[in-house]
Amino acid sequence: MAAVATCGSGAGSPGSAVATASKSNVTSFQRRGPRASGTNDSGPRLVSIAGTRPSVRNGQLLVSTGLPALDQLLGGGLAIGTVLLIEEDKYNIYSPLLFKCFLAEGIVNGHTLLVASAKEDPANILQELPAPLLDDNSKKEFDEDVYNHKTPESNIKMKIAWRYQLLPKMEQIGPVSSRFGHYYDASKRIPQELIEASNWHGFFLPEKISSTLKVEPWSLTPGYIKLLQFIQNIIYEEGFDGSNPQKKQRNVLRIGIQNLGSPLWGDDICCAENGSNSHSLTKFLYVLRGLLRTSLSACIITMPTHLIQNKAIIARVTNLSDIVIGLESFIGSERETNPLYKDYHGLIHIRQIPRLNNLICDESDVKDLAFKLKRKLFTIEWVQDNYLRQERNIYPPGFSYLLKQKDSAWGEGSLQHSTFLMSFLAKATAFASRLVRHSEPLKQTGSGRIHQAAGPRLWHDGRRQEAPGLLGIPL
Amino acid sequence: VTLSEGARAGTGRELGMLDSLLSLGGLVLLRDSVEWEGRSLLKALVKKSALCGEQVHILGCEVSEEEFREGFDSNINNRLVYHDFFRDPLNWSKTEEALPGGPLGALRAICKRTDPGPVTIALDSLSWLLLHLPCTTLCQALHAVSHQDSCPGDSSPVGKVSVLGLLHEELHGPGPVGALSSLAQTEVTLGGTKGQASAHILCRRPRQRPTDQTQWFSILPDFSLDLQEGPSVESQPCSDPHIPPVDPTTHLTFNLHLSKKEREARDSLILPFQFSSEKQQALLRPRPGQATSHIFYEPDAYDDLDQEDPDDDLDI
Repeated sequence: MAAVATCGSGAGSPGSAVATASKSNVTSFQRRGPRASGTNDSGPRLVSIAGTRPSVRNGQLLVSTGLPALDQLLGGGLAIGTVLLIEEDKYNIYSPLLFKCFLAEGIVNGHTLLVASAKEDPANILQELPAPLLDDNSKKEFDEDVYNHKTPESNIKMKIAWRYQLLPKMEQIGPVSSRFGHYYDASKRIPQELIEASNWHGFFLPEKISSTLKVEPWSLTPGYIKLLQFIQNIIYEEGFDGSNPQKKQRNVLRIGIQNLGSPLWGDDICCAENGSNSHSLTKFLYVLRGLLRTSLSACIITMPTHLIQNKAIIARVTNLSDIVIGLESFIGSERETNPLYKDYHGLIHIRQIPRLNNLICDESDVKDLAFKLKRKLFTIEWVQDNYLRQERNIYPPGFSYLLKQKDSAWGEGSLQHSTFLMSFLAKATAFASRLVRHSEPLKQTGSGRIHQAAGPRLWHDGRRQEAPGLLGIPL
Repeated sequence: VTLSEGARAGTGRELGMLDSLLSLGGLVLLRDSVEWEGRSLLKALVKKSALCGEQVHILGCEVSEEEFREGFDSNINNRLVYHDFFRDPLNWSKTEEALPGGPLGALRAICKRTDPGPVTIALDSLSWLLLHLPCTTLCQALHAVSHQDSCPGDSSPVGKVSVLGLLHEELHGPGPVGALSSLAQTEVTLGGTKGQASAHILCRRPRQRPTDQTQWFSILPDFSLDLQEGPSVESQPCSDPHIPPVDPTTHLTFNLHLSKKEREARDSLILPFQFSSEKQQALLRPRPGQATSHIFYEPDAYDDLDQEDPDDDLDI
């Protein structure tokens, strides 16, 4: 009706609802107009903080972790009020990069940062943050970088296993909203003016603790106590928990704690299996999570879990954190020479994803994720010849040799390959079921050796037991 | 410089890794064991850094001062600053010359020195310190000492600090050893075969891949370092010499390689799951003669050709 229409158009002006109600008496339902940002009204509004977005799955407010691929794996991002725990790789090369991307994302979005470390001065950590790729030109040139580095083998389209090509790619090089999730160039440093324009607080343990205090066995180590007090002070003073009504725009606090649990924090879980303070870290995480849940903050923690001696503590720490990601680098391990992993630098294991207001957690189906750190970019990908690796485990060694030949008639997608595969798999399952039926404990039959019937031996766990007779390889 | 070093000029950087341990700075962990002792290597490195003109501080906890200084020339002995914690570890004699705070106090006092110049601190040994001090305190002190020069905001330009720590691996569990090796910039593990000692050097630079290298060496009586090539590599016993390696591609009953024509034919083959427009047309077009389909059946000897429904006999 016309009166309602004038009411609707009148609400566009920054007048109050009272004025529009007095104009027309048709209905008492008034449309609220856009308010000035300074007023504190109690009406229900979407919290629109820069750099956050609501999750489409469970309604939580999400922030980006700094790596869009990781955001996608975690179901959109890191929920505010939760803890992201990163289990460091053995030589601590790749986990600092994830840590820094998280902090850099905070700076780019204008969030407040809190950086705590016992190893490096937080000011130095901030100097080493990667530079964001904000304009399209630079993004285009590293897109080409990505494609040029692909090996020719990976460009062969799969013919028989064509469904694997339909799986979504991890990297969304396509249009990414510029307000959520940015790409970072690992080879460049963040510009100094961005750091100076940002609001950050640092906690460097050697400065805060001057003397060695006597520690009771049931309490937290002094380093942890100081850190918790520091975080609590910042949250209270800057109003992240709603205690001080914020005059300006509400903001998110990003907390980053580096190397938690290492001996430099005064915690001895890495040194001894049953130390005197073995509950210190778990209590710290419990109190920290309580602080986070009642404030607009998100936390990233890197922890050297490969040094923790008591495995029960790792299990408890996993339960007390929300998202747990493990990094396993290939340096020094036998996987470095595995041709399957030759393009990658390590594996990413997503160990836990939280159930926030949900009955199920939002885990992606893809299990074999690997990462590589190219000169500029940190990418996470699915290890593509997954099915081929599983088959190679049961192939005789000569067949793997045939598969590796270029232009071989036995290549993937050929008829010989498929028929061999089917017949070999049939034999392999028959052989495996024979083992199940005939397994008897040695004690019953005395000291006799179990005579294994002739047949194709399985290449199991990389150890060759007996060569199969397929190609006449001499014993 | 031995002849072998000169011959391998291209890999001179690798050969010199043991020489350049001290130039990297930070904590250098020397892990030795009962079979391959590390104190002689420690003394050789101390001698090398003393000859380079650096300040050398020694925290002697495990052996006496006389035993440690044995074998050094007088000019080297004059350059060493020796802090003795062996004779009186708990400071019972209460003399003024003993430094307060024990070994850690001595470390911190060395930290607070004001004169610039590179400093080498030799800890003999870290195992003794680990057994007498809590591991976390030791780690924090070592980190404070070895990273003192990496702060750019320091007012006084302090030189590079190298800390050489001798660690007896067998005395400790994996926990303390792992904690110390994660702190260390360089880790040298001593081993060897048949009378020749080797050092496996693992170098961790921050934010870079760790590099490792095995260096064969021997220590001369005057504690100078002699880099050597490894022992002669013997023939591998695993491959039997009188059976030639078998080429599996010979005498095959099937075709291993594709000819060009066959490869083209294979590439142009349309796979059953690929849906192309020709296939779509073929499916949509009604095929002639498809209206009726015939089934040809030859009855078996056991087949019952009765057309009645057997369920009709049931009385329910």
